[in-house]
Amino acid sequence: MTAVPTNRFDALSEWSDRHFKWLLVAPAVLLILALSVYPLLFSVWVLFVNYDFTVPGHAFVGFRNFTRVLADPVARWSLWVTVLLSTINVTLEFLLGLALALAMVRNFRGRGLIMSILIIPLFISPVIVGQAWALLLQRPFGPTNYVLSQILGYEVTIGWLTQAPWNFIALVLADVWQWTPFMFVILLAGLTAIPPNLYEAAELDGVDGWRAFWWITLPQLAPMILLAITFRILDAVRLFDTIFVMTGGGPGTNTYSSSFYLYTLGFTQFHLSEATAGAWIFLLLTAILITFLVRRLLRAEPT
Amino acid sequence: MTRAMFTRANIVRTLFLGLFLLFTFVPLYWMFITSIKPSDDYLAVPPVWFPTKPTLLHYTAALFAYRGLDGLINSVVIAFAATLLSTVFGTLMAYSLARFNTGGQHLSFWVLSQRFLPPIATVLPIFLIYRFVGLHDTHFGLIIAYTVFTLPVTVWMMFAYFRQMPRSLEEAALVDGCTRWQALRRVAIPLAAPGIVAAAVFAFIACWTEFFFALILTSRTAFTLPTVFRAFLGFQGAQYGEASALAMVSLVPSIILGILVQRHLVRGLTLGAVRG
Repeated sequence: MTAVPTNRFDALSEWSDRHFKWLLVAPAVLLILALSVYPLLFSVWVLFVNYDFTVPGHAFVGFRNFTRVLADPVARWSLWVTVLLSTINVTLEFLLGLALALAMVRNFRGRGLIMSILIIPLFISPVIVGQAWALLLQRPFGPTNYVLSQILGYEVTIGWLTQAPWNFIALVLADVWQWTPFMFVILLAGLTAIPPNLYEAAELDGVDGWRAFWWITLPQLAPMILLAITFRILDAVRLFDTIFVMTGGGPGTNTYSSSFYLYTLGFTQFHLSEATAGAWIFLLLTAILITFLVRRLLRAEPT
Repeated sequence: MTRAMFTRANIVRTLFLGLFLLFTFVPLYWMFITSIKPSDDYLAVPPVWFPTKPTLLHYTAALFAYRGLDGLINSVVIAFAATLLSTVFGTLMAYSLARFNTGGQHLSFWVLSQRFLPPIATVLPIFLIYRFVGLHDTHFGLIIAYTVFTLPVTVWMMFAYFRQMPRSLEEAALVDGCTRWQALRRVAIPLAAPGIVAAAVFAFIACWTEFFFALILTSRTAFTLPTVFRAFLGFQGAQYGEASALAMVSLVPSIILGILVQRHLVRGLTLGAVRG
């Protein structure tokens, strides 16, 4: 089949056909190497020198960057904030998303329209989501406090963005608003894939709704639940944008997430080496989480 | 239709859906209303739910006084260019992975794993390298950063797409004397067009809404629309109207494109959620 190359162009085209599959992956692989792998390798050097915009030169400092971050109480607090917020966010989003999926699984009039409205938050920049919620929760003129005052019958003056624990509740509200549709869409897809004859058989056996949900729906849905929760957790631990817009990490360092802490350390205090050390610790913690979750996910795949 | 509609389960369901729709709708409505409200109405008690004297002043202020228009243009340029690169490179790679199993499972898993890296871990060294090579605050710098950041999703979406496409048509083309490149260009790519469009829209929305990279890798020239919101933060008074107007402007393309890719949503989301 292989033609004998007669001139330079043929030789080139023959060469490109022979290495076809590698030529196709080359641009993408080179870009990822250049902008993802190389920076990470480069940062290994940054870890052990003093790369600080407030100090000239890059003196070798050994593990000092690590020990400083580890000793920083704000770093530990930010890790705790990250764990707390991502746990609450993902749990609420899962429960609400599941409820929505169950409510939407059967066809009814207006379902398509409702579907389109429900998924809108997924396409909005988290910065704008933060902005929208900040507007609603503004004190003292915001509509939320006003409506609460009307309902409760006394004046409500909650500082949603400036007072603990209300600032956490505000951040949870914004995150739940944005990401519940994500859970909903995946779980709805899972629900529609359950064979209906399972329910028919259960009905013949006289199984009631709750037991059918517990013994048929949940086990059948399990792989999709795992998938949705895994993806959400991996995103939730990087929480940054809504904090940046809504609380600015405040009051004080009260709502610093890990990403926000590292951002502040690196880009407002210019301790880039310390921030890099912190980022590596965060990366390692995330890597453990990724390995654990993705392993479980791959095991659950029916392929 | 009659009795079934009034069962308790149905009432609970309707109530829940209604409340959730309200929850989804209210922030968007309030932002819209704020964007057309005269500034005097911000502080009104009770809040003004329906402005009687709507104004477009905040839109002009947001676009011109706060350089929202520059951000908008930058966002369009950067998101389009990154989408193009990501779609082209991602589609080529996905084709190779799906048809030839290039690099085995390791290569495909490696690409996907890029999606899971926390942005803060890569953006710090990228920032330093960019400053060193002069890519900081350039359009090109942000374009290639976004290309890499959207590649995993594009590759995985197109991988799934090519895998479900029969290879017999390309094989027929090869038998007819086409080169591999011609078979790809004339047969596989046209057949995969709907998938490519969906992947491109996902990449575009991801770039359009991205904030973190833009915040760190740009400052005065290549800033994108989401980063303009920095101007409205802090305590220098309440530019609620301007911020809302800008938000409304940047919402429009996302929502239109979002509704267009609705049908492809599940695959797109599950193979690497929209943003990172």
